[in-house]
Amino acid sequence: MNTKHNRQDLHSFLSQHPSIHPERRAAAVPIMQALQKERGYLNDAAIEEVAHLTGLSTTEVEELATFYTLIYRYPVGRHVVQICDSVCCSIRGADELLVAAEKYSGVPLGAVTPNGALSVLPSICLGLCDRAPAALVDGEGLGPLNKVGLEALLRSLGEED
Amino acid sequence: MEAVLTRHLDPTAPLGLPAYQANGGYRSLTAAFDLKPEALIKIVEDANLRGRGGAGFPCGLKWRLRGTDAPRPRYLICNLDESEPGTFKDRHLLYGGPHQIIEAIIVSAYALQAERSIIFVRGEYAKGGNSLSRAIKEAETAGLIGSNIGGSGFDLQIEVHISGGRYICGEETAQINAIEGRRPNPRPKIPRPSVKGLWGQPTTSNNVETLVNVPHILLNGADWFRNLGVNGGCGSKLFCVSGKVQHPGLFELPIGTTARELIFEHAGGLAKGRDLLGFIPGGASTAFLLPKHLDVPMDFDPIAKAGSRFGTGCIIVFDDVTCPLQATLNLIRFFARESCGFCTPCRDGLPYLAQILTTIAAGQGQANDLSLLEELCAMIGPQSFCAFAPGAVMPLVSSLQCFREHYERHITTGHCPFDTVNKKGA
Repeated sequence: MNTKHNRQDLHSFLSQHPSIHPERRAAAVPIMQALQKERGYLNDAAIEEVAHLTGLSTTEVEELATFYTLIYRYPVGRHVVQICDSVCCSIRGADELLVAAEKYSGVPLGAVTPNGALSVLPSICLGLCDRAPAALVDGEGLGPLNKVGLEALLRSLGEED
Repeated sequence: MEAVLTRHLDPTAPLGLPAYQANGGYRSLTAAFDLKPEALIKIVEDANLRGRGGAGFPCGLKWRLRGTDAPRPRYLICNLDESEPGTFKDRHLLYGGPHQIIEAIIVSAYALQAERSIIFVRGEYAKGGNSLSRAIKEAETAGLIGSNIGGSGFDLQIEVHISGGRYICGEETAQINAIEGRRPNPRPKIPRPSVKGLWGQPTTSNNVETLVNVPHILLNGADWFRNLGVNGGCGSKLFCVSGKVQHPGLFELPIGTTARELIFEHAGGLAKGRDLLGFIPGGASTAFLLPKHLDVPMDFDPIAKAGSRFGTGCIIVFDDVTCPLQATLNLIRFFARESCGFCTPCRDGLPYLAQILTTIAAGQGQANDLSLLEELCAMIGPQSFCAFAPGAVMPLVSSLQCFREHYERHITTGHCPFDTVNKKGA
């Protein structure tokens, strides 16, 4: 999407969005999410864009972007698999899954596969403890996972071009 | 007991507006608008509805303390930023029945005469948050949200905020900062949000489970609600049981139900041949309890008396092949990672605790490490800025008391005693 068109979209998004809020800064997180949805992550230009739209300084936007775990400042794969590493999943086998995930994806946790298809990230409790060990696959809950299922999942997601 | 809050939940096909209404949904609006807001607060007070997000503060009292003369606009925040390890009850409410949440907010906002409401949904539940937004649109179109709802003269706007994702955003004042587009550090306790909260206006924050009780209390009465509980408790509760049980899950039961019943009857008990080592009763930031506490009613006061916190009422079960040191290390690592970084005791203290525990877990602990851990916990909790660090050290302090011999064995033998147990075939 070209930047001009995008600007317009975001301006209309902004004009609809924070009716309940007296200040534009309230739109910072929704705008970051919208940009990320479109581009995968926020590069420096995106940070400047958020600053422009919200009236915040780039430093303030950067402070927010780096605070939130679901806002990415580096590229991620087209598919993102978040594997929970908190206590309920850990005691039901998540630690092994996290080690195995590096093997199956062929890249360390947090890295993108060379074809750009996949990133596997460790995550705090996903609220899926009843399905532990669990993961979010592109935002969709999945569990209980075992190594066989994880391997099949990561291989199929990782092969997509 | 008959399901109240979970009766119409269906995560695969949550009820749309017509079906929800056909099942009696939104009936409480008429009941509410027939009453003065003050009378509604009185009913919630009489019901003794205590906050389900962890603190257990009486909901009616919280609403009364906001005051009827609070300046406008007033905000009601519905906290759906569930991130406490072991806790997944709000997820079921969100994905299973968005209209139940909306109905609860309308009635609660009416009681508070709050014209603006924000539902703060954790980022990992974004798909549920999007469905909730669509349900809000549906309700707006039907005239259930907006200006002069049902001819009552009451106006309400509801908005969903999907979080960028951090545990601390569940803290009331950090959440207000998050909504305002500020860095989500907790704010000072004074002035209270009820006086000066979101955008400097009077703000009331309630956990979503607390709120969804309100329409039922209104329709069925305070006495009905009080009688739902057992062992002195009031109401039903969405209990979660997870960890080393056969059937982890969500169970709506009378508040005051014992952990024994929850673990062994509803969650299927432990795997064959396994014994219970201990459990955490209310999410990650609560103290460990032992098998001797299984018959303590799961309610705020009895659990506090037993030395822990009822918290979110979500039990994590540990069996006798789970190393309590490793489990505690996992919890401390979680909190170290999730510290907002604002105050030094929390930001630097929690990683220090994790470092010491890691050394002990690796079999390189020193004799004085346990007293050092205790000393640090005693400093970090009271000297930090918000309630995060006191909650974070709670499982460690209790773990050191409950499972001391396991910690000592790590240090004296130089390896984890549970390694051999596990190798024998767990």
